[in-house]
Amino acid sequence: MTLLRQLSRRLRSLFFRRQTEAEMAEEMRFHLEQRTADKLDEGFSPEEATFAAQRKFGNLASIQEQARAGRGWTWLDNLVKDLQLGVRTLFKSPGFTLTAIVTLGLGIGANTAMFSVLNGVMLKPLPFAHLPQLDRLYRSTAQNPDGNISPADFREFQLAKDGYGDVAAYTPANVSLSEPGHPAEMAYSARATANLFSLLGVQPQLGRDFRAGEDTTGRDRVVILSQRTWQKRFGGAPEVIGRTIRVDGEPHTVIGVMSAGFNDWRFLGGIDFFRPLAFAVEQANDRASTTLRVIGRRSPALTPDDADRFLAAFGARLAKEFSQANAETTWRRVTLQSAAAGPGAAMVLPMLIGLSGFVLLIACSNLANLLLARTMTRAREFAVRAALGASRTQLLRPLMAESLLLALAGGALAILVAVWFRDWAAVRSTGDNGEHVNFIVDRGVMAWAFAAALATALAFGLAPALFALRLNLNDTLKSGGRGTTGGRGHQRFRQFLIVGQFALATVLLAGAGIFMRGLDDLNKRRSGWESSQLVTGTIALPVGTYGDDEKISAFHRLAAERLAALPSVTSVSLSSSTPAFNWPEVRKFIVEGQDRPVAGREPAAAVNRVSPLYFSTYGTRVLAGRAFQERDRADSTRVFIINQAAARGLFGEKNPLGCRLGRVDGDKILWGEVVGVVNDVQPIVTDANPVPFQIYQPLAQAPRRETEIAVRAADVAPAMLVDRIRTAMTELDPDLPVSRLQPADITIYRASYQDRVLRDMLAAFALLGLALASLGIYGVIARTVAQRTSEFAIRLALGASVRDIVRLVLGSGVRMALVGSAVGLLGAIGVARLLGAAYPSLSTNNPLILGATTLLLVAVALLACWLPARRAGKVDAMGALRAE
Amino acid sequence: MADKSELFPGTLDMLILRILSRGELHGWGITNKLEQLSKSALQVDEGSLYPSLYRMEDKGWIEAEWRMTENNRRAKYYSLTRAGRKQLETEQEQWDRMSAIIAMVLHSA
Repeated sequence: MTLLRQLSRRLRSLFFRRQTEAEMAEEMRFHLEQRTADKLDEGFSPEEATFAAQRKFGNLASIQEQARAGRGWTWLDNLVKDLQLGVRTLFKSPGFTLTAIVTLGLGIGANTAMFSVLNGVMLKPLPFAHLPQLDRLYRSTAQNPDGNISPADFREFQLAKDGYGDVAAYTPANVSLSEPGHPAEMAYSARATANLFSLLGVQPQLGRDFRAGEDTTGRDRVVILSQRTWQKRFGGAPEVIGRTIRVDGEPHTVIGVMSAGFNDWRFLGGIDFFRPLAFAVEQANDRASTTLRVIGRRSPALTPDDADRFLAAFGARLAKEFSQANAETTWRRVTLQSAAAGPGAAMVLPMLIGLSGFVLLIACSNLANLLLARTMTRAREFAVRAALGASRTQLLRPLMAESLLLALAGGALAILVAVWFRDWAAVRSTGDNGEHVNFIVDRGVMAWAFAAALATALAFGLAPALFALRLNLNDTLKSGGRGTTGGRGHQRFRQFLIVGQFALATVLLAGAGIFMRGLDDLNKRRSGWESSQLVTGTIALPVGTYGDDEKISAFHRLAAERLAALPSVTSVSLSSSTPAFNWPEVRKFIVEGQDRPVAGREPAAAVNRVSPLYFSTYGTRVLAGRAFQERDRADSTRVFIINQAAARGLFGEKNPLGCRLGRVDGDKILWGEVVGVVNDVQPIVTDANPVPFQIYQPLAQAPRRETEIAVRAADVAPAMLVDRIRTAMTELDPDLPVSRLQPADITIYRASYQDRVLRDMLAAFALLGLALASLGIYGVIARTVAQRTSEFAIRLALGASVRDIVRLVLGSGVRMALVGSAVGLLGAIGVARLLGAAYPSLSTNNPLILGATTLLLVAVALLACWLPARRAGKVDAMGALRAE
Repeated sequence: MADKSELFPGTLDMLILRILSRGELHGWGITNKLEQLSKSALQVDEGSLYPSLYRMEDKGWIEAEWRMTENNRRAKYYSLTRAGRKQLETEQEQWDRMSAIIAMVLHSA
């Protein structure tokens, strides 16, 4: 009650100051008038009476001041006054203010943008209700710790799941999507167990979820669209529910539309639509094809440790009971949230945050230098105020108020930068499927920006302010109107800041340089293959039209023939994988005549199923034996072609040609003859531990619905062929879409779009860092020159040449830059190591770039120092000395 | 007007509370009362009464109201709140005890 009344009174005195003041004045006037009247009664003259009353009352102004302090929030009152004063002083030096705000805004903006990435990738929870209990389950092998799971193993887990919780699976694939009146399109679809959405805890925003039992053959022709596909392809019409669309040529009914939140790019966001996952009998017993991605929901009673133990025991059981397929494999789980962010994120994002922190640090030291210089020029003002009796707090308060204002403006600018970055990132990171990363600038990001701005401005505003407090009053007042250069301590502090800036800038520049160079190498590297004249595209033959292997192979042959007949086409190939990217199919092989290794320990090889002209089309050289030919058909002898690494690893010194090789397929072993050896190929982006053995099979002997087409252009630019290829394919089958049909180099370039976002960010950080650091060194040198004018004048007067002066100034600047760069090189080597660990295929050992970085920085420093140095050399000696 | 004593610090509040405990008064009235009760023996800047009043108002010991005096002038009348009455009691008690102790020491030494 009392508190409330107190609060209202204080607020009143704050906001109705005029009225409160008037009341106070009236009350005291009343007192004085009464006393004057008394004195008049005692017989004083009017003037004497007034005077006596005043004397008795005391010092009116001082009493009113005390009275004001007795009520209301003096500090708040003062703060408002300080801020008003701060605004006025800042406006009076717009150059300083603008530089400080822009520096702060860019530094914190870079940092905030990075934080929004971290927020969007790792911190922001996935939009699933049961998120804390959700896991990705993996079947790990030595080659692949994040391996998927075979249908049979998944069914095994479904039977045992009660010890764990609940489990769902999905498997994505390219399919064709067509509607009457629309050309067929390739879409990225996923088949999912009927419980996937309920397990995640999400609901379609329109229509209904899959029903239990719809994941059985015959009942599975229903489709749930993603919100993005619904908008893009069906115009967001609610009547889409119940509509029939053709997926891979088969009619399906649309039953639901997911909500926009489900578009989260980190998990399932790239999927255009979902269908139920139904297993045919032979699929259900398939333990060899690990195609299912499995998501588990732990029962709340189960602790994470218990879940780990359960999975380990389950994996061990599978490895023992089905050792043919599962020997040497284990099961493990990763929370869905971190699995969605990806393993690289945990390594790259903290590094990026760190690098953006470097930008901020450079910005901060610039700010500190600016504020310090400003404080020094105002040293006399402070000294006068201190001499007039201002207390320490009274001296500090306006400085802090200015810092606060700078922080607010800088923080606001930083948020602008972050918003701009968000829009830029959305454009730059748009994938082929139209999905893009979405870094929301939310309250957390804003809070980060302002907290960073406040911390920076206060810390770096306070430091120079404390310097000001340590000023010697007497000396400052005596030193005349020039302000002061500050003592040795100040000089040292500033030099330290500059050296630090250059060290940080070196790390940034070298880091960015190494990454950009490495990425560029990746995009250009074609090891064992080449792509400059190629057009590539993907087709997926639907089950409806191409029911069995015979029909698939017939189409493949026909397509290859037709395309090869096009003008300006040298050769055509179809294959399950292209050499540009990792081959997902890894199989185990055994060699005839050698002891068979323990189940699970057989040598693994990446498998590519290719058409006869694959090697000549991609330019992979056949080193021994022959390439595949038309006569290698389903009914002829099974043949293999192996790469050099496999030849050496499997056969040693022996000639592999004519030897027999067995592909382990579950319980069966498919034997075949090695007919050729080709050189090793390496994809542009390699895994952390790539499979070195590569084995090729004729596509006709191991047909596949989804294949990569490659067409080699003879004498024209490959882009010229795209339309002809599309027309030819449409003539063959109007319902068959060809996706990503474009020159191979474009596909390769597009593939690393996310890495390029990263590259651009690093480059931006580096440029920002360089700009800020050169601004910093320029500022400091220019100030020093201005302050040492009289010293230079004396030197000149005593016979120093202009060159001596210029050399003096340049020397001090370059020394700082060199020391800074040397320190920074150590850091840069560290960053290169980190990058190398995060991107195993990136070559990060690049001394050339380190050297170039140092040179660039020293050159920039030279330029930044040369401008003020030239001015120093032009000092008018007589004028400067007379001005003393 | 010769032998005047200065107030001990902090005692002005107590005196004001004591005067107000007999009924509401404006600042000028309090000054008069103080003069009258102390028989003009106290040396106080009359104005220093006001910061004291505002402080106590802020603390909630007294409350104020603008009203007309008998001579038809607007004046701010102060009166004791319940909290103020309690404050007066504690302060008076403390003062009594303290002065007794001081007297004891001074007289026995």
